[in-house]
Amino acid sequence: MPAFNRHAMQPVPSLDEQARQDFVCSLRAHLSGRLMPGAYKVYEHRVEPSFRAANGQSPQDHEEVRAAMTLDPFYQFWSAMQRRSQELLWESVIDPTERQLLSLIETSKSLARAADQSGRGTLRLDPALPLPRYHAAVDIHLQPGGYHTEFTDDDVAAGVVYDKGINLYMGGALGAENNLMGDILLAYLREKYPDFRPKKILDLGCAIGNSSVVWARAFPEAEVYGIDVAAPVLRYAHARAEALGVPVHFSQQNAEKTNFDEGAFDLVLSHIVLHETSKSALPRILGECHRLLQKDGLMLHLEIPRGKSIIEKFMHNWESYNNNETFSRFMTEIDLKAEALKGGFVNRDVLVGEFAPKLDVAQMNYAENFFWKILAARR
Amino acid sequence: MSDSISKPALPKSRLARVAKGKRPQYFSDPATDKLLSMTLTLMEELSVTRERLDSLERLLASKRVVALEELESWTPSAEAALERSAARTAYVERLMRAMHAELEEITRRGTPSSDIDPLDAVGS
Repeated sequence: MPAFNRHAMQPVPSLDEQARQDFVCSLRAHLSGRLMPGAYKVYEHRVEPSFRAANGQSPQDHEEVRAAMTLDPFYQFWSAMQRRSQELLWESVIDPTERQLLSLIETSKSLARAADQSGRGTLRLDPALPLPRYHAAVDIHLQPGGYHTEFTDDDVAAGVVYDKGINLYMGGALGAENNLMGDILLAYLREKYPDFRPKKILDLGCAIGNSSVVWARAFPEAEVYGIDVAAPVLRYAHARAEALGVPVHFSQQNAEKTNFDEGAFDLVLSHIVLHETSKSALPRILGECHRLLQKDGLMLHLEIPRGKSIIEKFMHNWESYNNNETFSRFMTEIDLKAEALKGGFVNRDVLVGEFAPKLDVAQMNYAENFFWKILAARR
Repeated sequence: MSDSISKPALPKSRLARVAKGKRPQYFSDPATDKLLSMTLTLMEELSVTRERLDSLERLLASKRVVALEELESWTPSAEAALERSAARTAYVERLMRAMHAELEEITRRGTPSSDIDPLDAVGS
């Protein structure tokens, strides 16, 4: 597995805990790389032919594919194992985190005190902020407690668990600082808008600030802000950014309605966040982006592709039904450009594009033949 | 194992181990879901045990006496990590043989499916 940078906010696994995390990576590499392609084969060789024999025609949409595939024994077994691997993934990170939680909280406090004195990065929490239903109804990605649950005072556990969890989820392909998502959107900006030099950047739904840090490193002269609704990931994000020596301003806010001034930013971003929201929140978030951008400011949202053929669409929706990514199922049908227009952007300034960035070898495993979806709009 | 020995006083708060949200049922009998979950956990723990043994063997090869603290703080060399990763990959491959067998059968062209009872095949 590619290197993962050690910093002060990471728990140190015991010998057995390390072996569990390594096992989860090996298991998931097999499930995704070796068995997942089998689902396409059983569809082609078994499910689609018997559906056609019984109904006189092929499945007409991804919901019909779903109805037929969930009865297939190979698909059932792969799917059940994929689900269990996600549960094992979190368990393997929760154990060492729980054991070292109190000392990690102390470290986060001393990093925050040092930041207060140096006047670099900041953290502003709002305990009165209501959690949106789409965020708290189920634990997203099956992380027990989600991004938001506080298990003790000044809790950072959700952030600690999420950081190592997404590192394992991608078998290290997210990079040494879980930086891949930020790198992809940054590569898009540099290719399409080479002269754009942002002064004030906002990262929506920033969680642990892994992408916020990418932007702060890329544009050291810019002020970078990150918002999220969940306090424990923000406490961790602040401590982590300080441990890495990168100043970011984090605050607990809902991207549907922030307390920043109109036109406060020239670059507003999100990294695979929109599919975790809801039908009603999505246009409100894009409307808020429109309000927050100054004239000629730029909005960039990175999204996961949702497939072209009906079997691809069905497979891309696996996470919706099995990994608590409830809203992503609806994203298959949503026209992001239309949503941006609802938010106040003008037709000629909005673009929904596919982007396959050229990245270094360590990241190619994931990015090769994988076209990311990007919603871009100019104010 | 030494996890229980090296564990410091429990923190005040326990973290959750189960995610909120209805768990899908994958098989017609829910017992099969539970069995598969347990099997994968056993698979994980066997992997953990094998790696621990591997650590011990490597240490024993280089030292005459192994203190428990010494084992606990041991980490594989880059070379050993690569060897262990390859061994894990092979182990998972072995365990998944039933799945690959099914795939092979489905995609094998020009031969009838193995619905045929082996006894029928030799009995006539």
